Amino acid sequence: METAGGSKWSLIRPFLVILLVHSLAIYLFTRGFLLTRTELASFSHCSDLTHSPCSSISSSHRRSNFTPPPDESPDELHQDRRCWTKPAVDRLVIIVLDALRFDFVAPSTFFKDKKPWMDKLRVLQKLASAEGSSARIFKAIADPPTTSLQRLKGLTTGGLPTFIDVGNSFGAPAIVEDNLIHQLVRNGKRVLMMGDDTWLQLFPDHFNTSYPYPSFNVKDLDTVDNGVIEHLLPSLYKEDWDVLIAHFLGVDHAGHIFGVDSAQMIQKLEQYNSILEEVVDVLKSESGAGGLHENTFLIVMGDHGQTTNGDHGGGTAEEVETSLFAMSLQSPPASVSSVLDSSFCHPDLDGRKLCVGIFEQLDFAVTISALLGIPFPFGSIGRVDPEIYALSAHTWEGRGTGTNDCQPSSDLAAWKQNYANALCINSWQVKRYIDLYSATSVIGLPTEDLNHVSELYSQAQTNWSDTVSSGYLPMGTPHRIQDSEESPFQQKIDAYSDFLESVAKLARSAWTEFDGTLMGVGLSCMLVSLAIHLLAIRRLNILCKPYQNALNILGNYFSLVSPLLLVAIRAASFLSNSYILAEGSVANFLLATAGIIRLQRSIREWKLPTDELFFLILSTIIRFGIEIGMSKESSASTFLFTFSKNIFGINEGDPLLTVLTDIFPIILLFVLAIMFYKFISGICCWPHFRYILYFGTVCSYLLIALHWASESNLMPISLFVQYTGRNFAPQVVYAIGFGLLVLSVLSRFLDSSRVKPTARMTVLSLALVSSWSPTILILLGRQGPFAVLIFISGAWFIVKSWREGWIESTRRDLGAFVIDPIPVIQWSFLAVCLFFYTGHWCTFDGLRYGAAFVGFDHFNIIRQGLLLAIDTFGVSHILPILSIPFIITIQLQNSKENSAEGNTFLYLTQVFLIYGLITATTTTLTIICVTIQRRHLMVWGLFAPKYVFDAIGLLVTDALIFMASLYYY
Amino acid sequence: MGYGEITASKALALHFLCGVGLAAGYGIARLGCDVSLVADPARTLRLLLVVEGPVIIGIYGWVRRDREHCSYSKAVARGLLGLPIGALLNAFGAIVLGAPVGLKYWLSTIYWSSLMSLFTFVPAVCVFGTSRTDWQRILAYSKPNEGVDCVISLPAQGAVIGAWLGAWPMPLDWERPWQEWPICVTYGAIAGYSVGMFSSAVFVHLLGRKVHVKDD
Repeated sequence: METAGGSKWSLIRPFLVILLVHSLAIYLFTRGFLLTRTELASFSHCSDLTHSPCSSISSSHRRSNFTPPPDESPDELHQDRRCWTKPAVDRLVIIVLDALRFDFVAPSTFFKDKKPWMDKLRVLQKLASAEGSSARIFKAIADPPTTSLQRLKGLTTGGLPTFIDVGNSFGAPAIVEDNLIHQLVRNGKRVLMMGDDTWLQLFPDHFNTSYPYPSFNVKDLDTVDNGVIEHLLPSLYKEDWDVLIAHFLGVDHAGHIFGVDSAQMIQKLEQYNSILEEVVDVLKSESGAGGLHENTFLIVMGDHGQTTNGDHGGGTAEEVETSLFAMSLQSPPASVSSVLDSSFCHPDLDGRKLCVGIFEQLDFAVTISALLGIPFPFGSIGRVDPEIYALSAHTWEGRGTGTNDCQPSSDLAAWKQNYANALCINSWQVKRYIDLYSATSVIGLPTEDLNHVSELYSQAQTNWSDTVSSGYLPMGTPHRIQDSEESPFQQKIDAYSDFLESVAKLARSAWTEFDGTLMGVGLSCMLVSLAIHLLAIRRLNILCKPYQNALNILGNYFSLVSPLLLVAIRAASFLSNSYILAEGSVANFLLATAGIIRLQRSIREWKLPTDELFFLILSTIIRFGIEIGMSKESSASTFLFTFSKNIFGINEGDPLLTVLTDIFPIILLFVLAIMFYKFISGICCWPHFRYILYFGTVCSYLLIALHWASESNLMPISLFVQYTGRNFAPQVVYAIGFGLLVLSVLSRFLDSSRVKPTARMTVLSLALVSSWSPTILILLGRQGPFAVLIFISGAWFIVKSWREGWIESTRRDLGAFVIDPIPVIQWSFLAVCLFFYTGHWCTFDGLRYGAAFVGFDHFNIIRQGLLLAIDTFGVSHILPILSIPFIITIQLQNSKENSAEGNTFLYLTQVFLIYGLITATTTTLTIICVTIQRRHLMVWGLFAPKYVFDAIGLLVTDALIFMASLYYY
Repeated sequence: MGYGEITASKALALHFLCGVGLAAGYGIARLGCDVSLVADPARTLRLLLVVEGPVIIGIYGWVRRDREHCSYSKAVARGLLGLPIGALLNAFGAIVLGAPVGLKYWLSTIYWSSLMSLFTFVPAVCVFGTSRTDWQRILAYSKPNEGVDCVISLPAQGAVIGAWLGAWPMPLDWERPWQEWPICVTYGAIAGYSVGMFSSAVFVHLLGRKVHVKDD
């Protein structure tokens, strides 16, 4: 269609360009910023080992050498012992001290200055420096993100959790990947857990016994700790567990509230010192032959560090450096101790030499699995840590070789052989994971790096075969093997370590590092797109110019600056995490402000501001809705009931309330249908199409009502009706919606009648809105009709209050825009408010997962994902954007000017451009803010989800605008 | 000098007295009754209201329009009547913008909106009464050309914009007591009001000079 400003393509082209530039920008930025990793649902099993190249040797070796101790050989225990590696310890005590900095544990002599919080955990230092000790302090390096949940996941799966672990969990934080706890339970180990309840979120039904305490209240320093203390010492005397996990939270909370350099922190550390003393005393007293803790291993560790302000989450040295203290209750043979790295040694406070090892937290899961003799978690990419493995080395001499006449040197050789075998299994398991991962994941790993690690692996493997053929064939004579550096086992260990290190490096580069260049390029693309937007708007102004009576370039500054200011304020508010949390209220504040500005303008023109006042009342309703939605987020969904109970004095079970909540939405649905009828009967053209539209919509509404009726338990309904209402009705609603959509698109392209553009646009937009609205309504649930009603009335008041100012604004208030931007901004803010009003918020648990299953019982990632997307963006993106033409059409229908009619498409284009510009501006600021805050404590909890929602929202907006422009022009 | 005009010194004195009233109210609250806005916003706001109310009504009644038909006492009565109406308008605005409602807050909201009414609505009612032309002029106000308009509308606009800006720390997670409604909004309003008074005094001074130049 030829329009005043040229062909329709020249109007549509900018939308396409903007869509493409935005897609490119988001793609680049996302590749740099959001690290993704696919979760594999494979698990390791004891029997898998037969597939490994190490299996035959190790099992034959075990058959020949392994003699079970006579006093403890129940059958299942015997079975356990044959799994993967030889168990080195029987019981394990893991004490997690949340946010344990390295300098809390290591003696102050390791650091330049002595700080008040150092040397408080003296018991660990003394144990580590004691002569011939089997205890050791490690500097443990965590991988970012250093938040407790991600760290626990990393520690137990042996992987590198990223922000988006693509998996099938669909919202629940429970770990679906193979992990240490799962393996423990599968292999008959009884796990006892006490402390932080995050463990229970991650492992809902793994623990034999658990004593969880809420970790939510950061200000509470003692509840969790006291709970753990109450259970820890008594449990140490019990036999009903194999692995004990005690998670203390006090230090983390003290750091968050008071900082590291505070009296509370020192108090906490001193408290821990005395508890650890008691624990060690109990363990030692029971460590004699036949005692409860004869072969127990103690680990005291932090999950991550913290800065001196108590923050953590990022990747700075203070945050990733935590410590790990490991102690075996029996001393390893002196020769094996030489394996321990002694490069970091300083005298401790008593002048004794204390050495500190380096430990990667990545290695935790596999090392513990190797110690306990259970299969390594499938997705673990760590390496069995030689030093911790050496600490438990005593067990090999007695049981492993079964000979007592070994020379000291052969202790070391036997250990090396064992360790090499463990590494062989370890490497095979990691290789298996990497192969499967690169074959199945969404975003794989770089090919050249994969080739490199494969090469290293085959090298190590040939090495292993050589060793087996040359050095190992004379079975049962390990003491012949040299323990020099050139010994084949040492070579093997080195080769495997090489392989495992490069895998870890590859994984880290793929899963933990931001790509600054890509992020920068993405951000620049975004800025370029803003410039394109402004240019497009400017070009349109020039096109419109001849049709304007008088163009006052400067115009009224206030009316031009204030809307821009509102958008700028909203965009800038994303720089603060609190403002992102309160985004709904802030958007409503700005919406109300825009309303007040309009009110003021209307009063200034001495008109009775009824529409503006109604709009303000409406925004007050939205405001209360958002507040209720926010409190739902923090507390339970019963808020509405308590709210109504307080206000009206009605009880939760009150039949009146139930009737109201069930009936009210259905009544509103009828109101909507009547409104729709009013609208549609006012249309001048296309009578048949009109009837089809109306018939389809009414059918959908009836089906929605049936669906809700079938869900309520007001009246007894037959099972058949219940079934059709529950699943059949929604499916038909989706089908009708889709049918109407196809019909409207077809009729738009097949129709060649010449009607006035405004009338035509009204019909078309009505068709689109009516084909989408039933689906959106049913997905939103019972709040749907009210939300849609609010949107319609809000839109009505915006347009109506604008109408009066139209003629005037074309004359007086123009600056850079042909169209007064205030209504468009109000429209956009209204859409944002409705997003929050309908119970969404910008985190992944803010998605309304229930909506994905309206009409379907079974999960299908595409189908359910689509429904969830429609629910999330329905009332905040789809409906507002598709109904934008109403801004113009209602306006122009009443306009007396003929020139305005010819300009319809120019006006519409401009409105679309302004709307898109508002969304793009806020998203750009979100991107800038995420870039600035990428090391912030809340980056993964708050900023990144916000970015994802905004980025997807922007692309949805662009795509909708583009398609709408294709459809309408 | 035209009808209803106001001399610079008079405007200055007027604003000075208003400012002194505000300071005195705060001083009495702080020293006399030992309450502060942060500790007990409702009581402090009430004290401010009690002290500042008479000052503003009294002073603006004194510069009332239409002196022939309107006695001083009538202007004062108008001001007293305008106080609750303005409070209602301000409370409506605040609630639309997101002021919390609830038993805990309603007292402070009432006192706060009355104080805002004193800053915005009461002076205009005292001076203009129900004169339609005057109201229309002050609402459609774009350029200050009369001293009284300045004296009324600049501090009012300052107070409203200050209160609006004063809301910005409220969502922040600093957990300071003054982030509560209506403490920081009150601070913002008072600050904005003071700026408005200052600029109004300056404006009236400049206006007076312009008139002088014209007269010469």
